[in-house]
This record gives sequence, structure tokens and C-alpha cells, in this order.
Amino acid sequence: MNDGWNIVVCVKQVPDADDVTIDPDTGTLNRSDAPAVLNKPDHNAVESALALRDAVGGTVTAVTMGPPPASAVLQAAVAAGADGGVLLTDRAFGGSDTWPTSLALARAAEELDADVVICGEESTDSSTGQVPPGIAAHNGWAQLTYTESLDPRPDEGVLVGTRDVEGGYERVATALPVVVAMVFGANDPRPAGLHRKIFAETEFEPVQWTAADLGIEDRVGLVNSPTKVGGMDTASPVERERTRVDSVEALYDHLAEVL
Amino acid sequence: MSREATTAGGLQRPTLRTETPSYDDAFDAVVVGAGLAGTAAALTMARDGLDVLMLERGPAPGTKNVFGGVLYTPTIRELVDIDGAPLERYVAEKRFSILSSDGDETAISMRPGAWRDEPHNDSYTVLRRRFDEWFAKQAVEAGVTLVTETTVTGLLRDGGAVVGVTTDRPDGEIHAPVVVLAEGANSLVSEGAELKERPERDAVAVSVKEVFKLDRDTIDDRFRLDGDAGAAYQYFGEGAVGEAVGGGFVYTNKRSVSVGVVYRVEDAAAGQTPEATLDAFESHPAVAPLVRGGRRIEYSAHVVPEGGARAMPDLVHDGAVVVGDAAGLVLNSGVHLEGTNMAVESGYHAGKAIAAALADGRSDAEALAAYARDLDQSFVVENLRHYDWFQRTIAADRQFLFEDLPRALASAETEYFKMDRASKDEHTGAARDHLVAAAGGWFGAAKRAWRFRRMLS
Repeated sequence: MNDGWNIVVCVKQVPDADDVTIDPDTGTLNRSDAPAVLNKPDHNAVESALALRDAVGGTVTAVTMGPPPASAVLQAAVAAGADGGVLLTDRAFGGSDTWPTSLALARAAEELDADVVICGEESTDSSTGQVPPGIAAHNGWAQLTYTESLDPRPDEGVLVGTRDVEGGYERVATALPVVVAMVFGANDPRPAGLHRKIFAETEFEPVQWTAADLGIEDRVGLVNSPTKVGGMDTASPVERERTRVDSVEALYDHLAEVL
Repeated sequence: MSREATTAGGLQRPTLRTETPSYDDAFDAVVVGAGLAGTAAALTMARDGLDVLMLERGPAPGTKNVFGGVLYTPTIRELVDIDGAPLERYVAEKRFSILSSDGDETAISMRPGAWRDEPHNDSYTVLRRRFDEWFAKQAVEAGVTLVTETTVTGLLRDGGAVVGVTTDRPDGEIHAPVVVLAEGANSLVSEGAELKERPERDAVAVSVKEVFKLDRDTIDDRFRLDGDAGAAYQYFGEGAVGEAVGGGFVYTNKRSVSVGVVYRVEDAAAGQTPEATLDAFESHPAVAPLVRGGRRIEYSAHVVPEGGARAMPDLVHDGAVVVGDAAGLVLNSGVHLEGTNMAVESGYHAGKAIAAALADGRSDAEALAAYARDLDQSFVVENLRHYDWFQRTIAADRQFLFEDLPRALASAETEYFKMDRASKDEHTGAARDHLVAAAGGWFGAAKRAWRFRRMLS
């Protein structure tokens, strides 16, 4: 491992969570109203990937799946410091749920000869958290989910992750290759350098791979997605009972009475 | 480390580039700010074949910009095809209104039929968030490189000449032959680099504005509008801005109404807060029904340069020019409220001058002086000079204009139209007495008429 590690970071373009609204009639997200941005937890994934490269050497390749405009999130990753990017784009991918999506990313990671694949813990537009474990499952690789920090041991070919678990944390050492899902807010993502940002937005171009390139054209898309949405509904807020009191004493008396 | 793309096993490998190229002197000009002045300059230069980098601190052009709401488009229409522009409504009606703090209103409204015909006197309400982004997109399509979320923090110098900018990003310095300062009214970079002085308090106004969402039909009915027609209402008097010197406005967008006040920052410093001033204006009985039931969807505030021609800084420096609000290019004559059109005009002239200077291989102040000269000969500076007297004169006569006149008009109207058993002649006399008394007698009225004669000339 003299060349360092091949680090792949998976990123996703989502509607800006700050601007997204829910259509009250259909219960679905109004995706088109909000600007498309890099999924917030993925900023932490990119930072982890860059920090890992700083520590062990090697390269960071950003991968996303989506229509051509999704390459904007690859630009964001390259602006922050990723070395290159791959856009998985194909009409055949349309309608894929987490199962074929993680298959496509798994195949791409394999194609890139990845030592470490890093993802954000979940996307803000669907919040399943299923894709990182899905990548590991498809490739039969180790996985570190809900990871707060990484401690690489390049001499041993081992990655140690600190995982957030109920009541504390655990440290898990794993052989490579491994898929990591970073906890949202795990680190402080570095801002893009000015010249790097100009490079990413003007000269950088990702390579594009299709489903057929990855040999999975018959295993992706809506028909190969086991998820079925049975229905959507919006919950109406319950009207709370309100009582107005005039003083702290009156509030105390009222609480004592109610409780 | 740089590995070129290779095809192994039929699959193209990604090009990996760890080292970052330097863009020092890769661009002919850096434009600071993607508002209307900056974009007009960038677009003009790109059309003349220059490589332009435009830096914007907001997440998209228009997100940091505030103005009342009416954009005048003669120059923009020369630069781009505005058929696809996100215009809200054309101005079909201008209405000027004087409000007293007692709830009185006296107004004059104009709806010339000619404004209904294209291009609608080049007057449209717009929302900056949408319009500026669209305008900047036209510049990008012309070849401009737009980089957002990047704040310029200072200028790079070589000797006395400006040779680039510093930004808030790591590795954030970039060199370029010319810098266009289109940073807006709060021009911290130009001031920090001593290209202009910090403006005097009396040369700055504060504006605060809210946007209320209403149904399109409600707006059409309330303002008597059809189709794309819109209304621009301007307000004066104590009922609009309280103890301050300034005015209020109500503009119709497609599905929202913009309401705001603009007054001297001096009055704000004396204790009259923007939010209280706007609240009072929106509560005035002549204004409240216009926005009743509207959902507040935007609240914004900004400073406005109102120093006129006298407060304009030097526009041209070695390696730099100043355009738009940063150059103090805002006109407030009471009747005319303009700024964005002047910003575009200044950006256009600056862009032309820079292209000509760089074609001669020069970027010094002398080579860029054509910008200052062309702007000086344009409507921009001519109008600023013509109305230079206005701000000082109304400030000196505030008591009469903002307090006594609105009340006297209301009293005169009450008398003139009074229904009782006195004769019309008596009512006319009483109405006249109210006005003459407020104006300081016949002599005072004549003096004031003379003083304000230039307002309409």
C-alpha cells in the first residue's frame, strides 16, 4: 500500500432541505421548488475522505448517480479537494430505490478498486440510511455505520472507526475494503480553496458510466426496486388546550391542580 | 499527482488531479459582486472577448440584493433579450400620495394609455432573487465565470495599482489586470482599499421592506389591474415615515406586494427604528387595506447611497473601476426613484472602457478614464447633478412638507367639499386659508413654489 489508499466518496444531489416544502394534496416533496445542492451529511463524508487521504496518501474519487446536472455535486467535492469524479448516469437507473442504487455504487467502487468507500449517514430527501450498508452487502465488504471518526492504520491495512452506539461509543477495527457511513456533523468540512473551486467549476469534467458499463443494466431501475410506497398522508397538528394565567403564582397553582 | 484518463477493460477511468492550477492572470478582469452593475460590466466585457471572473458572496446572484421593486430596462434591453426575463408586472399606474399622521391621504394617480403598449415605458416590477440570477445567467452564457459563496475581502496592490483581490476562501488571492468594484452600497472593499471615503451620514439612507403574498386576483382587484399591469405607489409625509425625512412605497408583483420605507440613516440614528417606521406605514389607514390578509414571505433591509453627484467617489483608479451603488449612483428626486438602471448603465460603460484599455495592453487610470467620461456624459450623472439640490432642500423644509402640508391639504379638502348650508364661495375661501396659512402666508407660498420649481422641471 505504498501508493496510499483508493478512497471513494459517494455523494448525492438533493433539494435544499432549507427550502423544501411538502405538497399538502399528494404528501410528496415539492422537489422542483428548491435549488439542488449537495446532501448536507455528504459534506462530512467528503471531509472524512480528504482527511483520510491527508493521513495515508492516495486519492479521493467522488461518485454520484443521477441525471447530468447531478455532476454539480461532483464539482462541489472536487472543489473541496477530491481528485476526480464519476457520474453514473443512464435512463435505466430511473426509479431505482436504495437496493439498485447501492448496487450501482458498489459496482462503481469495485471498478475503482476502492479500499475505503465513505458515505454520509443518510440523504435529507429520503432519510433511509440504507445505501452505505447496501454497498457493503452487494460487495461483501466490511461496514462501519454511524461513524464519528476514523483512525487509519495503513501499515496493518486496517481502518479503525469510532461508532456512535446507544449509551456510548465503540471502536471497531476492520480490514479493507470497507464502507463507512459518517454521522452528520461528525467533522467540520473544509471550505473549498478559491483556485480549486474555479478549477472544479470550469475545467473539471467527470467521466460518465452507464448501467451497461457496470454490467447491471438488467438489475436497476423501477422494476428492480423492491420498495413499494403504499400511500402518503400528512399529519395534521393536534390543537393543544391553552390556558392563560397572569402570574407565576397562578401558573404554579394551575400546574399543581392539573398534575 | 496527476493521472490521465485511460481506458482499461473498456471503461474510461476518471482523470485524477490532485494539484490545483493557478488562475492568477488567467482572467482579464475580476468583478466584485454579481448584482446588476457587476453583471452588466461582466456581460459587456465577455461580449468584447474578455475572460471575466465574477465573484458573488451570496449562494446565488440576487440573494443579497434589496431594492424597492421597479426596474427600468432601456439599457438592459440593449444588452440582452428580456423576453425570457422573470419580470413581474409592467408599471401601468404611478401614484403619488401624501399621508398625514392623522390618517389623511391626498393622492394623484396617472395611467397613461401609452404605458400599456410594449415596451411599457421600460418600467417593470421585479424580484431581485429571480431577476439577478437570470441576468447573471445571461452573462455566464456569454462566457463569464461566476463563482458564488465567495466574499472579496480586500484588494491586492503592486505599487499603487490594484492587481487583484483577496477573498475569504483558503488560497483566496487571485491576480487580474482589472478589478471592477460592484459591491453595492455597503462598499467595504472600496473603502478599506481607500478607493473611496466612508460616506458621510447625511449621504446614506436606510431602507426596510416586506413582501406580502396575495392571490393574483386579489392584487388585480385591489389595485384595479388586468393581465400583466402593475402599480407603483409612492408615499410622502409624516404618515409614511414619521419624524424622518424620506418616503414609502407599495409595488405590485405577480402574486405578492412589496411594501417599504426609505429614510435618512440620520433619523434612524436619532432613534426612529426601521421596523417601527415600517409598522406605522403599514398600519396607516390608506396603506393597511392594500396588504390586508397577505402572508409575509420576505423581510429585508439595506442602506441606500443618496449623496447625489457631490458624494460620488473617483470612479477610475490604476487597475480598478467603481460602478453601481458602490459609486453612489442612486437618484431620489422625490418624483423619480432610480438606481438599478444607473447601475446597469455604469457597468456597461465600465465594461466598454476596460475592453478598450486592455486592447491597448493598458489598465492604468488614464487608460480607463473613458468610463468616467462616458458616464459623466450619460443620463446617470446628468440626472444626479440636476437633482443635487433636492435632498438638502426637503430636509431643510421637513416641518412644512411632512407635517403641515399633509394636514393642510386634508383640511382644505374637507372645507372645499363641505356639505352644509354655507355657499361654495365661503368654502373655497376657508380651504384657501388653510393652505396659505400652512405655507407661511402668500409670501411664504411663493417662496416655496420657487424653491421647489425644479422638482418637475
